[in-house]
Amino acid sequence: MLQRILNQRLWSLFVKEFRQIRRNRRLVIMLIIPPTLNIILFGLALNPNFENLRLGVVDYSSTPDSRDLVSAFTEGLVFRIDGYYSSPDDLGRAIGKGDLDAGLVISYDFARKRARRETAEVQLLVDAVNANTATIAGGYATRIIASLNQKIAISTRRATVTPHLTLLYNPGLKSSWFITTGMIGLLLVLQGSVVSSASLVREKELGTIEQLLMTPAGSSELIIAKVAPIFLLLAFDIGLALVVARLAFGVPMRGSLVLFFLSASLCVICGIGLGMMIATFTRTQQQAQLMGFFTNPPLAILSGATTPIEAMPAWLQPVTAINPVKHFAVIARSIMLKGSSADVLYRELLALAVIALVMISVSAWRFRKQLS
Amino acid sequence: MKRILAQVRKELTQLVRDRLTFALALVLPVLLLLLLSKATSLTVKDIPVAVQDLDKTPLSRQYIEAVGASLSFKVSALPQAISPESALDQNLARATLIIPPQFERKLERGQNVELQWLIDGTDANTANIMRGKAAAITQSFNAQLQPAPPRVAIQPKVRYWFNPGREDLKYFGPGVLAFGMTMFPTLLAALALSREGDLKTILQVYVSSITAFEYLLGKVIAYTIVAWAEWIAGMIILFAGFGLSLAGDPGPLLITTFFYLLCTTCMGTMLGAAIPNQAAAIQAAQLSGFLTAFLLSGYIFPVENIPQPLRFLSNFVPMRYYLDAIRDAFLRGGGWPAMWPAPIALALLSGLFFWRAWSVMKDMQVKA
Repeated sequence: MLQRILNQRLWSLFVKEFRQIRRNRRLVIMLIIPPTLNIILFGLALNPNFENLRLGVVDYSSTPDSRDLVSAFTEGLVFRIDGYYSSPDDLGRAIGKGDLDAGLVISYDFARKRARRETAEVQLLVDAVNANTATIAGGYATRIIASLNQKIAISTRRATVTPHLTLLYNPGLKSSWFITTGMIGLLLVLQGSVVSSASLVREKELGTIEQLLMTPAGSSELIIAKVAPIFLLLAFDIGLALVVARLAFGVPMRGSLVLFFLSASLCVICGIGLGMMIATFTRTQQQAQLMGFFTNPPLAILSGATTPIEAMPAWLQPVTAINPVKHFAVIARSIMLKGSSADVLYRELLALAVIALVMISVSAWRFRKQLS
Repeated sequence: MKRILAQVRKELTQLVRDRLTFALALVLPVLLLLLLSKATSLTVKDIPVAVQDLDKTPLSRQYIEAVGASLSFKVSALPQAISPESALDQNLARATLIIPPQFERKLERGQNVELQWLIDGTDANTANIMRGKAAAITQSFNAQLQPAPPRVAIQPKVRYWFNPGREDLKYFGPGVLAFGMTMFPTLLAALALSREGDLKTILQVYVSSITAFEYLLGKVIAYTIVAWAEWIAGMIILFAGFGLSLAGDPGPLLITTFFYLLCTTCMGTMLGAAIPNQAAAIQAAQLSGFLTAFLLSGYIFPVENIPQPLRFLSNFVPMRYYLDAIRDAFLRGGGWPAMWPAPIALALLSGLFFWRAWSVMKDMQVKA
């Protein structure tokens, strides 16, 4: 049985492709360096955790009470006092120039109202140019004042509801865990499409495809032999990405490694299918690469790999269903961070398999039509 | 001067005749702007929250209603058969809320009650937002509990300046324009130079009377003009399509834009001059125009959050300066006092890139 397989045309074609790829040093480097760098860079650079937001203070009250409030703000790591200002106008100008992220204005009657047990109002100005930073800064400020209120309220004793907030799966809120698990799928699809389109288009460009057609091998055999070695090389990338994510950021692997590799292979097939599709539309390697400019940004942005899908407009969210990167991001996060198993992830796995099947069969069909 | 103009005309004619490159130059930036500025956002809406109400009293329902009334959350009931943790495991919800039995009775007796919020921390940023919202909702619920005069000691009044609705589009729309203007001019200029090397037409340039300086300047002028066309198309979309408007004087923005487009074109010219191979030049443009701009410019998260050795590199990314300027122009309207460093930094970088391109090419001319 094994002998029969080895003697077949398919096997010799496979060996030819494999050697061709191995001798192409640039390709081998491309399979190792960019994924490693990308995972590390993305994990390091895309960081939404805020520390040291610059806070300006106008303290008209200047009493122990108001100083308590200011020090409550600086106790955590989130805010740091950048300076005291003499009037809200000065403070406003500083925010307008972008010198401050937020400003706190404490009025003259702050201590008096506190002494009379009336509600004292303080003003918090947040630079909302960056909506996300502003939302998080406002949230932190509210929590700081809420806990101060609670400290004060202990003496006056009244029934309150306190939320007991528990963060699951990623208690340190490390954004690198979110980004790297999303990036793995993106890398596999992008790498798969680049490598497979390059290797198919090269034969077209150099005219060697005619020589291959002269051999007794059928067109489907040609395609399989072309794609199989690329698949094996990218399977190596799956492992590489996992190791890098583990070593650089300590991303855990709480679920089944086998399931992860299985679904990642589906992701690779999607990438190869995309590359084959691009190869059927282009004649030169340069054109194929330029086509990548049309396909890659939407693949990356509409995937939820770096920004949450829930933040996209409602009409755009269904579009992401045809993006393999999106499904794999859900799978990777569930397996690695939550330890989920196949019975939970069957929808995403099915979607990934369908996308892979459609991509491969449509592009193989187009390719065979062009060959004959 | 005449030679430079001739070079500019030749470049523009060549561009218009090449269909793929032309689509890349004018159609793609517009499409990307439409798509990406809508899609990049961090403001999550309708996050599914599964609620297990073990109390089932008017008061517990009032709390759940308060959660559902928030724009960020969408409440659904979780049957008691499913444990709250497994609801998160199975991606049924991003957070679960458990209201303990005797919730109402304890509150009426004046006892403190603890609520359980389990938050899926997979997406750190969204988890942070959920945590803040949960605290704020509970705080206002507490305030409502007391029918007596409000007894909160300190009441913060938070005002969000420049973007009171905290709309992401106002932040990311101009950001995508800046992103497109670093991606495409760099790519087109790099292609234009490396194509001459690839097709060996550069040899014809060598034997002509044009100097390296004129040759490069001609390319830079031609592709800066293309970049301006792209920029104007992008601005039309931001104004007409998304209804954004400038917050102040357009003068500083126009001048900064001039240097930015010059800078990204010069960067492409430098790459194309150094790499006489189109495929490799595309990759280099992708690396510098796409990846570094995406990561090191502050496009999604602020530059200050990048750890130090990497943050230093961001000083060489032109988009970083332009982002500050264009976001200021659209939102803050700070004008020159806020914007002056941007054009200077961009002019310096343009000079640096052009000088690098020139030092590669300067010995090209065949001495007569």
